[in-house]
Amino acid sequence: MPSPHPDHRYRSPSLAASVIIIAVINLLSAGAAWCDSDAARQIIQLAERIDQEIESQNADRLPRQTLSDAGYLRRVTLDLAGRIPTIAEIKQYEDLDLPDKRLQVTTSLIQSPDFAYHQRNELDTFLLRPLNHDREWRSYLLEATKENRPWDSIFREIMTPEETQPEDLRPTAFLKHRLGDLDKLANDSSVIWFGVNIGCAKCHDHPLVDDWKQEHYYGISSFFKRTYRSKKGLIGERFDGKVKFDTTSGESKDADFMFLTGTKVTEPELSLDAEVLKQYQEQIKKAEQDDAAETPPQPLFRPRQQLVDLALSDQQQRFFAKNIVNRTWARFFGRGIVHPLDQIHSGNPASHPTLLAILTDDFINSGYNVQRLIHAITLSVAYSQALPMTESDSPSHGENKLENQSDRGVRYFQHAEPRPLSPHQLSLSLLIATGNPEKTAEQISNPDWEQDRGKLEERSEGLAQKLEIPGENFQVPVSEALWFSNSSEMQNQYLGGGKDHLVGYLNEIEDPSAIISQAMFATLGREATSEEQVVLSKYFEQRNEQRVDTIKNIVWALVCSPEFRFNH
Amino acid sequence: MANHADSGHPKQSDSLDRRSMMRLMGSASGIGLAANMNQITALGESRLNDQLRASGKRVILLWLAGGASQLETWDPKPGRPTGGPFAQIQTTVPGIGISELMPKMSTHLEDTAIIRSLNTKIADHGTAYELMDTGRVKEAGVDFPHLGAILARELGNIESKVPDYVSMYTSTEGRRKGSAGFLGGRYNPMFLTDAMMPENIQRLESITDTDHRERAELRDTLSKLFARHHSHPSFEGHNSAYGRVRGLMASDYLFDIEREPESIRAQYGPTQFGQQCLVARRLVEAGVPFVKVARAWWDSHGQNFETHQELCADLDHCMSTLLDDLKERGLLENTLVISLGEFGRTPSINGSLGRDHFASAWSCTLSGCGIQGGSVYGKTDENGNTVVEGEMSAGDLYSTIFAALGIDHTKEYMLGSRPIPIADFDSTPCYSILT
Repeated sequence: MPSPHPDHRYRSPSLAASVIIIAVINLLSAGAAWCDSDAARQIIQLAERIDQEIESQNADRLPRQTLSDAGYLRRVTLDLAGRIPTIAEIKQYEDLDLPDKRLQVTTSLIQSPDFAYHQRNELDTFLLRPLNHDREWRSYLLEATKENRPWDSIFREIMTPEETQPEDLRPTAFLKHRLGDLDKLANDSSVIWFGVNIGCAKCHDHPLVDDWKQEHYYGISSFFKRTYRSKKGLIGERFDGKVKFDTTSGESKDADFMFLTGTKVTEPELSLDAEVLKQYQEQIKKAEQDDAAETPPQPLFRPRQQLVDLALSDQQQRFFAKNIVNRTWARFFGRGIVHPLDQIHSGNPASHPTLLAILTDDFINSGYNVQRLIHAITLSVAYSQALPMTESDSPSHGENKLENQSDRGVRYFQHAEPRPLSPHQLSLSLLIATGNPEKTAEQISNPDWEQDRGKLEERSEGLAQKLEIPGENFQVPVSEALWFSNSSEMQNQYLGGGKDHLVGYLNEIEDPSAIISQAMFATLGREATSEEQVVLSKYFEQRNEQRVDTIKNIVWALVCSPEFRFNH
Repeated sequence: MANHADSGHPKQSDSLDRRSMMRLMGSASGIGLAANMNQITALGESRLNDQLRASGKRVILLWLAGGASQLETWDPKPGRPTGGPFAQIQTTVPGIGISELMPKMSTHLEDTAIIRSLNTKIADHGTAYELMDTGRVKEAGVDFPHLGAILARELGNIESKVPDYVSMYTSTEGRRKGSAGFLGGRYNPMFLTDAMMPENIQRLESITDTDHRERAELRDTLSKLFARHHSHPSFEGHNSAYGRVRGLMASDYLFDIEREPESIRAQYGPTQFGQQCLVARRLVEAGVPFVKVARAWWDSHGQNFETHQELCADLDHCMSTLLDDLKERGLLENTLVISLGEFGRTPSINGSLGRDHFASAWSCTLSGCGIQGGSVYGKTDENGNTVVEGEMSAGDLYSTIFAALGIDHTKEYMLGSRPIPIADFDSTPCYSILT
């Protein structure tokens, strides 16, 4: 949202010089040449298709408002780099006088090391984090995101690690942490890769969704039933094992290997004689218990591998592709085109079916290129919409009308929905906001940034692990507010008065109004409004004896604001 | 710590002028400034049950982690091959006998109902814990809230100055935090593990109380200015969490049993369980709706009888003292005390003189609020192997708990389009032990 009071924009000669130098260095790395490429043109076209589709559903002509430059930069930096922008980055972006500056900045962010780290964190949160923090697994994910590995490859590697890279145990974590519970393994896999929660169809056909029958539930379970993990950590499949279930009418059934679309896989007759089979079974049992045991042979028919092949086959791949397109969309808009995200079925239609089809087609045709999809989304006009206007700002005053407009606006992506920062986004942003802004800006523009970003990740891990992972209907827990209010880490480390910290940096500036402006930019990425200036100046005046503590308290109040806590 | 003097710092009159801040904000009032968590009940239920809340019902759960033996507590089988070495003693309620390991409780049953007919089927710690802490079998894809979170929501006051779900669990064995599941982080427990005092509830010495308060006011003022242009339930929820900080800090004294008279502390005794029961009493007295005190570790696969001699003595003493104390203060009629674990123990005695996991016929107790004291519900066979009368599931127990507290057990939460009853489908309260 544009600032209502641009006249209060802070201009500090002391800071400006360093900011401009950094800005120039940074801009050069933006990959300007790439912006002229065919790939770039295709992404721009895709972004335009997004906007055509969003606009075509806006029959009500709901009022919309586009973000200011600073607002867009904060949003997109959080979304692509997983952190807030520095003061230097904001100034640079605001001062950039180019028609395609959003293309420039998104390209620059996607090509930066930050993007791979952030993608890694997002993938980890999506795939494993709620169950386990696994460093080895995270290093595997980082490798994949650094090279923008296609989504189908990642799927294969995680779901059939023994087929794709048998020597590498890192991607086995997804299966490993779920193997103890077949229901969880089957349902999590279905939710995560296909957007279908079949949990409700375990004991009976799904009571609310015609699509999902008990057969689907046990069909998906069947693909995982034979999976085991050896003591060495290798994933394998047994030679036999069927899922049996009781129907509501009491009939006992063997489940088929059946995918969510109803397509079944027929198991060929096992051509082993009983003696050999028994020997293999014992070998597997031994391997599960003894890490010195020989790796057992793999059967020819491997159900989990069959599921992966089936899901990626020409006829079935849309299911798989649609899910990740929908989830990626939701990451940037706070809501899926199909919503809830685990309810992709005929009874829960997409709000924009054509848009979902266009994006899914493009995703498949581009070779499951997640980066391309993300780039197009962040370039769309739809993505750059501001939060809904409140009553005082809105041209129409009827309360009910406003409420309905707001709901519809979210549903039809006419305006933005505030999204809570993930634990990593919040933890990293807190480090950036409370660090010395000049030093941080210098670090980011330095060729060693990739390494430093890795170190920053390490530093952010402690707090990130304390914070709750936001789910649907997220509420900030009071434990978080207590940590920000009373932990010694917050008071002594983040709000430290030394030269490496924002508080120490601000304390070197003489003019209180300059301090306030810099504090606002460093934390919230924007200038102070005239009202904020007045409130904060007054606070300053009344406490002029305790300068450092005053600055500390101001910075604390800013990083503890809802404006800091959410991406909006 | 939180109460030390603020020497050398401005008094309130010198501090930030709140009135001038409010003036600056002009007509800001009435634009949805009040943080109101009611608005973010995105589960489809917009009105919370105010009437219930006003009635001030409370719950203390004595969690017997690892699974206590029903035969050495509430359902002894003296003289039977499964009975073990301990005798049964008569209680002051005619016709009810319990294990001799619970002598104090034998004179304290007038407010307690014993349930002897739990058949919950699941006998591994992890899954059984989930079952008994949520009242239903785990379902892949749905994150059910635990009892404490449900009751924090149903009994708590949204703007409460005290915590609404406190969980104490100091043993490392079988420790589980408890989760608010789909109800959201607002109902997460305040979880005490290492110390008797919750984390981050006390102010650091390096910041004065005045500074602490003023910066919170400054935060609040800035948030309100922001809300004038950007109002959203998520922002209000964030403000509400911060709004509770000072109140929670002011409740730190509740965790400090040094403030109790020596005589009361002596009554509860020196064990950690006793001290935590005393904290629990202080908490419910101050209006905390749900407190869980865990006593571990009852998992007596070997040496069952020695283990129970030690643990039952602690349980017997602390539970009877707690009930007395609550009653003397007039709190018992509104406080439900539950003693429960994830399962019971096998009637058969194994080669290590232990009893193993057993979920087919075991016991728990309910005391106080809404409970018909001096009663026994359900019956097991002569050796304690099966339930022969009044079989009760985890869902039935939950229904009974809700009914005792005056909560409609058929009430539903909406998870998207799916209704989820707070007590599992097909569960019924056990009316005969309710008043």
